[in-house]
Amino acid sequence: MNTYNPITALAVFFALSILAYLLFRPNKGWFWLIKNSSVSNDKIVVEDVLKLLYHNENADKHLNVNDIIRTLKYNDKLILECINRMSHHALISIEGDSVKLTKSGSDYALRIVRAHRLWEKFLAEKTGFKESEWHERAERMEHELSKVEADILSSQLGNPQFDPHGDPIPTNTGKIAKVKGIPVSELSIGTIGRIVHIKDKPEIIYKQILAENIHIGSVIRIMEKTPARIEFHSEGEAFVLAPIMAGNITVSVLEKDVVFEENLARLSILKENETAKIIGISKEIRGDSRRRLLDLGFVKGAEVKLDLLNPLGDPRAFLIKGTSIALRQNQASKILIQKD
Amino acid sequence: MNTNKIDHIIALSNDLRWQIGDEFHDNLAEGIYADAAEIVKGAVRKKDEKGTFRIDTKIDKIITSKVWGFPLMFIILAVVLWMTIVGANYPSAMLSGLLLDTIHPALKGFASNIGMPWWLDGFLIDGVYLAVAWVIAVMLPPMAIFFPLFTLLEDFGYLPRVAFNLDHLFKLSGAHGKQALTMSMGFGCNAAGIVATRIIDSPRERLIAIITNNFSLCNGRWPTQILIATIFVGALVPASYSGIMSLAAVIGIAVLGMVFMFLVSWGLSKTVLKGEVSTFNLELPPYRPPRFWKTIYTSIIDRTLIVLWRAIVFAAPAGAVIWLISNIYLGDASIATWLIDSLDGFGFLLGLNGVILVAYIVAIPANEIVIPTILMLTVLVTGISAGEGAGVMFELDSATATGDILRAGGWTLLTAINLMLFSLLHNPCSTTIYTIYKETKSVKWTTVASVLPVILGFVVTFLVAQIWRLLA
Amino acid sequence: MEVKPKSACETCVQFNADGLKKLGVNTSDFDFVVALAGNPNTGKSTVFNAMTGLRQHTGNWPGKTVTRAEGAFEYNKEKFKLVDLPGTYSLLSTSEDEEVARNFILFGKPSVTVIVVDASRLERNLNLVLQILEITNNAVLCLNLMDEAQRNNLEINTRTLAKDLGIPVVPTSARYNRGIPELIQTISELANGKIVCKPHRIKNIPKNIEQALEKLSAEIKEVYPDIPNSRWIALRLLEGDRNIIETLKTGEFV
Ligand SMILES: Nc1nc2c(ncn2[C@@H]2O[C@H](COP(=O)(O)OP(=O)(O)OP(=O)(O)O)[C@@H](O)[C@H]2O)c(=O)[nH]1
Ligand SMILES: [Mg+2]
Repeated sequence: MNTYNPITALAVFFALSILAYLLFRPNKGWFWLIKNSSVSNDKIVVEDVLKLLYHNENADKHLNVNDIIRTLKYNDKLILECINRMSHHALISIEGDSVKLTKSGSDYALRIVRAHRLWEKFLAEKTGFKESEWHERAERMEHELSKVEADILSSQLGNPQFDPHGDPIPTNTGKIAKVKGIPVSELSIGTIGRIVHIKDKPEIIYKQILAENIHIGSVIRIMEKTPARIEFHSEGEAFVLAPIMAGNITVSVLEKDVVFEENLARLSILKENETAKIIGISKEIRGDSRRRLLDLGFVKGAEVKLDLLNPLGDPRAFLIKGTSIALRQNQASKILIQKD
Repeated sequence: MNTNKIDHIIALSNDLRWQIGDEFHDNLAEGIYADAAEIVKGAVRKKDEKGTFRIDTKIDKIITSKVWGFPLMFIILAVVLWMTIVGANYPSAMLSGLLLDTIHPALKGFASNIGMPWWLDGFLIDGVYLAVAWVIAVMLPPMAIFFPLFTLLEDFGYLPRVAFNLDHLFKLSGAHGKQALTMSMGFGCNAAGIVATRIIDSPRERLIAIITNNFSLCNGRWPTQILIATIFVGALVPASYSGIMSLAAVIGIAVLGMVFMFLVSWGLSKTVLKGEVSTFNLELPPYRPPRFWKTIYTSIIDRTLIVLWRAIVFAAPAGAVIWLISNIYLGDASIATWLIDSLDGFGFLLGLNGVILVAYIVAIPANEIVIPTILMLTVLVTGISAGEGAGVMFELDSATATGDILRAGGWTLLTAINLMLFSLLHNPCSTTIYTIYKETKSVKWTTVASVLPVILGFVVTFLVAQIWRLLA
Repeated sequence: MEVKPKSACETCVQFNADGLKKLGVNTSDFDFVVALAGNPNTGKSTVFNAMTGLRQHTGNWPGKTVTRAEGAFEYNKEKFKLVDLPGTYSLLSTSEDEEVARNFILFGKPSVTVIVVDASRLERNLNLVLQILEITNNAVLCLNLMDEAQRNNLEINTRTLAKDLGIPVVPTSARYNRGIPELIQTISELANGKIVCKPHRIKNIPKNIEQALEKLSAEIKEVYPDIPNSRWIALRLLEGDRNIIETLKTGEFV
């Protein structure tokens, strides 16, 4: 105890804390770096090559070895090694210049695509991760889900046919549903349709679309169309898009007798003493949280009133079917109403 | 052939599901509500046009108002604690007078009359009996006041409003607003709070609620806080203010616990439990005037006595263990002395001492017995116990007497404050740890939930001790 | 099948106070299982306590009960095991917090299901009631919190309600033990088949769903002619519920 001195003690403590931080901080901590680098990623490379080929073949494009090396961000030598091994195992065949998937190669690729899209569906339905994060997380998870796990996940999700972007999820036998629809850029003024697909590539455009709050399942109506811009209304808001963004959104055209609700508002803007009628819940709310809202009485036609504000502004309580129910503002902003 | 048919049915259902499309659930819910509306229209009649539940709305307007919402929460917490602290004084003194001053000597006398061997007498009467008596005297009165008051608030319908008011803070820390409810349950008992986290349906947010529940001071720790605050913090100011001062100290610790809960929730949701916050929806029930006497009666019978029983069940063997480790010798020193000596250095670094650390090890089964263990071990090390012998709990009819013993054991204001901090920030009791395991079914998360608070406790008390000594 | 819903006053005369024994936690050798289902915070645990003499924790916030609790009472020499469940908003959801209750209502095969509702918020409570009525033929509506409904000037015609729902309706104020004898009497009559229900079936289901349901439930009936709730199973199949697919394969629900 004779060497004790509070300052020394504090200094030692801070030195240790900094060391612990460097070792264990999320993602970049030395401990994690060392741990992750030792995991072999051959499997991941192989699967990424398969997926790349699959997507390109679907678009009728054929790649050569150089294309693959250029597109994938791995060590060149590693990719070459993997390609060799893959052709040895008859997952791919190299015909002259181009690399093609064999039957077993494309089956394998489909399994990865299935895992990827199922995981995105899972993230959308069961978790609160941001939409812009889904793709990246699924990119990682697709390599980890086994076939059996994918099947279990699929049935837990009610064997969905499409992922949250509207892309078809291959079934466990490899069947794929067709997306039917027309890009928004090709619709004429006055058409009413439901968004069925939003391309998630290229990423820059996808993120822009998301930033606009445009979602699968929303009903839209084309208001204006010039070579430079397309304007449409959806869920009470007006959207203006450049044609290249509009080209990445596919809609299925609805019959003419569908009533398209204009003058919609969001529940979040309801003020004290105002009443309104619920028109519906935006498609951004999915899965369990959507069901819960419906069960709590937020169904089409229900009367709603703002009941309570909150000292911190959020959440607010709404009076619906005789009971006060508190919702956070970001949820309330996804419930569509028509003020009385 | 049956399996064929069933496979066919399942395939058919898949086809149909895809034909119906994703509006299925919405349409169904709307359909059911349409039926409900029709039925209600035929069966329910409102007798006059006045709105229903109007008083409720008025109360709610105040309880959730910008001006009154938060102050009211603190005032209510303060009133409950104040009634507990003040109200418990008198019955506590009476009980310890009876159990420790009257019955204990009588038992000793009886034992020596029938010629009981010294070790059996010491083990049973000085070990087991004294520990139990201490727990009853110190725990029963505050619990018998705290629980009924809490239950009255719960029955009135105040808890969901707390969750409503606090939700934004939970959202900012990446947690679920219903964690406010489980936190409140934790003020009674952490194990109960952890079971209550089942109302949180997002697994990630539920884990956060489980791991941070320990930052709610549970009934096993309130008496410790109250006692130490009364002896050391209350004594800092003139007697007429000492009640307020110790109340402020206890509330400070409770609020600090909430601050830690928010911080740790935030830290977890930014690192290991990453993810966006999911949705939150909470039904705010109408206020219901509680049935006063019935509530008091059942909460004393159910909660207080059950919790007390648990404390006794753990205190009795702990008393025995304490007596044993103080009376079994390894070489020159008893096990207890040996343990205390080896932990003293570390304890000093934390502004505590070896006795406190040993007490916390002995008290893993139940937090309730920390203070009696500390007292008994202090008596053992300082050797101030003249007549009773090793491992005997001292007779404490007043807080002053307790304070004298602790000061004789070298306690300062720093020791007291750090003990209060450490009592807030240390591992959950064994029951809670087991409950965490049952609820999470994961050794990993159980370990995190058990170890994280101790590490925090070490860090906080260490920092406080160093800074205190620098400034002093 | 015959509908014979009773109003509270027909039954209270018949209640045999001497025949009632609250048995507390002693649930051995029971003759019937009775489930207490309902939305959160409608007074299920209070009803449970009133009938068994136990002291399940109650509290004025939704979600107080999170695990199922069992107790028993004896009435006219028959033993009833009573199961108190956590509150649920719906049987259609897949959320984890409601799993315990959902599973018991669906697969616990209770002889009688007591659906406890808040009388002053009947409409929102009916959401669950109508779902439960799709799966069971033996249920009674416990119209609880009647004192509160009266204070708020609501008048409820229990006769009409019983006719519309096709099950007996018993108004209660569980906290003050009002209506509990009638409830016990009704449960006993239901269990012994003296009252036969003809539960309401949801009418406002959109056409496309209704057609799909009919198609599916006809097929199910072909394989399992004896099951009462083929329509519900069809509904769950349309949702893609794994549990139901499994039970369908094993045929365990009969
Ligand atoms: N005024 C009045 N209050 C009642 C009555 N029945 C129950 N309560 C109160 O309503 C509140 C909720 O009762 P519980 O029995 O806990 O409700 P529960 O349905 O078990 O709730 P969960 O377990 O959360 O689903 C409590 O505060 C009860 O005291 C009644 O008949 N009249
Ligand atoms: Mg309950």
